[in-house]
Amino acid sequence: MSDLKHLLKIILTLVVVTAVSAGLLAGANLLTAPIIARQQEEKYRAALQEYFPQAADYKRENLEGDAFDLVYDAAGGLLGVMASTAVQGYGGPISYNLAVDKEGRIVGLRIVEHSETQGVGDVIEKSQFQQQFIGKGYRDPLKPGEDVDTVSGATISTSSLIESIRSLLTVVAENFLQLEDEEAIDISAVPDGTYRGTGEGLFDKIVVDVTVAGGRITVIEIVEHSETPTYMAEAAALIPPQIIDQQSLDVDTKTGATGSSNGIVEAVRDALIRALNPEGGENNEE
Amino acid sequence: MKNSYLADITRGIFKENPTFRLVLGMCPTLAVTVLVKNGLGMGLAVVAVLTCSNIVISSLRRFIPEQVRIPCYIVIIATFVSIVEMVLQAFVPSLYAALGVFVPLIVVNCIILGRAEAFAGKQPVLRSLCDGIGSGLGFTLGLLLLSLVREVFGNGTLLAETNYAVQLFGPNFEPMRLLAQPAGAFLVLGLLLALTNIVFKRLQIE
Repeated sequence: MSDLKHLLKIILTLVVVTAVSAGLLAGANLLTAPIIARQQEEKYRAALQEYFPQAADYKRENLEGDAFDLVYDAAGGLLGVMASTAVQGYGGPISYNLAVDKEGRIVGLRIVEHSETQGVGDVIEKSQFQQQFIGKGYRDPLKPGEDVDTVSGATISTSSLIESIRSLLTVVAENFLQLEDEEAIDISAVPDGTYRGTGEGLFDKIVVDVTVAGGRITVIEIVEHSETPTYMAEAAALIPPQIIDQQSLDVDTKTGATGSSNGIVEAVRDALIRALNPEGGENNEE
Repeated sequence: MKNSYLADITRGIFKENPTFRLVLGMCPTLAVTVLVKNGLGMGLAVVAVLTCSNIVISSLRRFIPEQVRIPCYIVIIATFVSIVEMVLQAFVPSLYAALGVFVPLIVVNCIILGRAEAFAGKQPVLRSLCDGIGSGLGFTLGLLLLSLVREVFGNGTLLAETNYAVQLFGPNFEPMRLLAQPAGAFLVLGLLLALTNIVFKRLQIE
């Protein structure tokens, strides 16, 4: 009997302690949550106003879990988009806002929250790092180490953020600004010759040789790839003939081997761009 | 009787200083002491939690059964830590951002559970209150010294990220970045421990 009593006392104590604790926490949350939310909202609005000084109104849209605010001026004209997303960094998620004007250029980058290493990965907070994104457009490669610099010692923090910004910029440009995905290439201006280009396949680089004769693409040869052989065979059978047939890179890549197909198109585009800018110094090998 | 309250406070600061004598709670000590602001903020957060949890645990010491005292202590401590976390986030967001994960980790700070188990669970409320303040201040003192050294030499500033920030050295000063890194925290802590050991030996404090 006394054992039972003792057991009851133990249970009762734990129940009371946890219940009181839960009550206190609920109370504290009730008091502080609105303040916290208001603060974050204020900071966000201040940043939005800074990036879009003429902003008068905005409309929120959600796409794949990310929030996109379409920013309008007083007359109702679209100024641009402020996007909020998060990417996995080195120490945890990095959540940030990206402000893009209606031409698809970055006008602002704001790190909201991150858990990167102090003194190392937290360079992503520094304006020196952030400034290099300003003015970059959705057509810019935004490749780590190429047109934006990673910070050595903080490679993971910086390159994951760069990758994420590039894909977010593309999402904004395609879905909210209705900008064309890629710049049209004037094939007739390409001098005769064979040009090598690389694209990003599903797994790794795809390297192609493109032969141009008389302003027309005549041969596309796949030199190197690491794709799954069966898929790559399908993509290689479908995509190059289409490009040669239509003399355009605007081909249907939804083949069942989309990743490899896109990689081939990208590689051909790369080859043509190199052909058009031979002294462009776009040598990203090694 | 007055003397014993005072002794409860000073014991935590000097003789049983959590950082330099007991070497407890090293995780936040090493991690957040990059800037004085962070060290001080962390120290004061611990003072608040430790004092509150000591008071509550001491006043409940007759009601909490022996077998479940640890879970009860943890729940009480975690409650205060969560409240402190929310208050920091609401009113000092920059400090909250700087301390990051180390605010919730106060829950498992050995000093707090240590004082609860060794002192507050056995002693009357007022003495536990004094002990909480004392140990908390001792911890704050440790963090303050550590962050002072690391900020001055590792960052070249004093009270950075506050309204009283001072740039200590000229523009050509190249700060010892190592001290701002985790490894630097160990080095500085080791040197400070050695120094306090010498001082305590000289003053013949046991």
